[in-house]
Amino acid sequence: MQFIENIGKILIKLFSNFGKFILFIMFFFKYLFKPKFYFKNNLFYFFNIFISSIPIIALTGIFSGMVLALQSYTGFSRFSAESAIPNIVVLTLTRELGPVLTGLMISARVGSSIAAEIATMRVTEQIDALKTLNTNYYNYLVTPRVLSLTLALPIFVTLVDFIGVMGGYLVSVHRLGFNDNLYLLNTIDFLSLADYLSGIFKAIAFGFIISIVSCYCGLFSDKGAFGVGSATTNAVVISSVLILSSNYFLTELFF
Amino acid sequence: MKIEIKNLKKKFDENYVLKDISMTIEKNKSTIILGQSGCGKSVLVKTIYKLFRHDSGSILYDGKSDVEIDKFSMLFQYGALFDSLKICENIAFTDFINNKTNFDTKVLSLMKDVGLDKSNFNRYPSEISGGMKKRAALARALYKNPKVIFLDEPTTGLDPINSDKINELILKVITKRKITALSITHDIKSAIKTGDNYYFIDGGVIQDKGYCKNILKTKNKIFKSFINGAKY
Repeated sequence: MQFIENIGKILIKLFSNFGKFILFIMFFFKYLFKPKFYFKNNLFYFFNIFISSIPIIALTGIFSGMVLALQSYTGFSRFSAESAIPNIVVLTLTRELGPVLTGLMISARVGSSIAAEIATMRVTEQIDALKTLNTNYYNYLVTPRVLSLTLALPIFVTLVDFIGVMGGYLVSVHRLGFNDNLYLLNTIDFLSLADYLSGIFKAIAFGFIISIVSCYCGLFSDKGAFGVGSATTNAVVISSVLILSSNYFLTELFF
Repeated sequence: MKIEIKNLKKKFDENYVLKDISMTIEKNKSTIILGQSGCGKSVLVKTIYKLFRHDSGSILYDGKSDVEIDKFSMLFQYGALFDSLKICENIAFTDFINNKTNFDTKVLSLMKDVGLDKSNFNRYPSEISGGMKKRAALARALYKNPKVIFLDEPTTGLDPINSDKINELILKVITKRKITALSITHDIKSAIKTGDNYYFIDGGVIQDKGYCKNILKTKNKIFKSFINGAKY
């Protein structure tokens, strides 16, 4: 009996949290179009996210491209299709690996920091202080972070695509003996705008997912150090799972 | 502003934190709420401030149930200063985030009033002591010239000397500016020093009330045990 009761409690909590999350998103959109818009705050978060994430983005891009070129060679050389490597590298990066890997890396780098910062503000009553100072926390805390990350992720993905292709180029030309001009020509010829845009659309969706989930986890965290820790972990885990699952549906959309 | 609370109830999940609270906060007086940790003092104050919704009962502000919280200010237990902002930006927060720039004179005057040296103007909260943070938080609470100030355990985390200084400062500020004050504390010495009236809460209900100067003469057994630090 106790077992069934516990399952019931877990289910009720799960549905109640889901409902709370949906309401949170609705409030976000409601306040997005309200007049109080802290432009300085938006700009600050955009540059903060941008500058702090560049090194991790560059590393993700270069190594993904390099590994992709090597692994493709292993497979394609078995049926003499090595010439398809530039096409595979650019297609996989722009349509799939660029947005997904960037999303996962940014969720760990920026999502965790958003959740930890807001959860700490909650634990130390800074969120209550905002309310007492007549400041809407959606406008002041949530909107700048969500807008910044949603706008920054397509730029990050473009960078990862470019650096990744360069990584593939380096390995293909210097390690596998490809002709450098031919490699670049194949890459440019094969890449279509639709491939690139499908990745960018995914990036916008992932940027929104990471930021909104991280803000939610931070704002509704439990009290104390444990609460801050859980909020951070939840933000990364939930955003990562949502990125991976929504990726399938977005891929179906652009299939 | 006079605040009248009648039969106030507030619950979280299924647990009633405030079971039946009726009290009056007199205009321009300092009212103290005493009680053990976890008895619902902070919930009561945040409910009066409208940070929480109550489940039943009524709160009347000068006879009306509606009030603009613009007229209220709050000093939080640990200051709740914004870490990423300088002290001057914290104090003038509302003006700062609305891109107003002419707040320096007002901030400096408030810093002087609360005994905060002007060298702290451009410092961050992490660079100043606990006592200074309380002073800065008090300056922020006074920045919008409130009619009512709520003080949540203003001396928590301070040594006895700094506690005395903060108590004197609060008394000076609320008397000079003619502000209605509602303070939470479990420090009897602070209550006697800074309060006019007191309410003692236990188990979500008011167990005792009276004038702060008569706290030590109370006949309520529970409150007596609380004062003596004994179990009841």
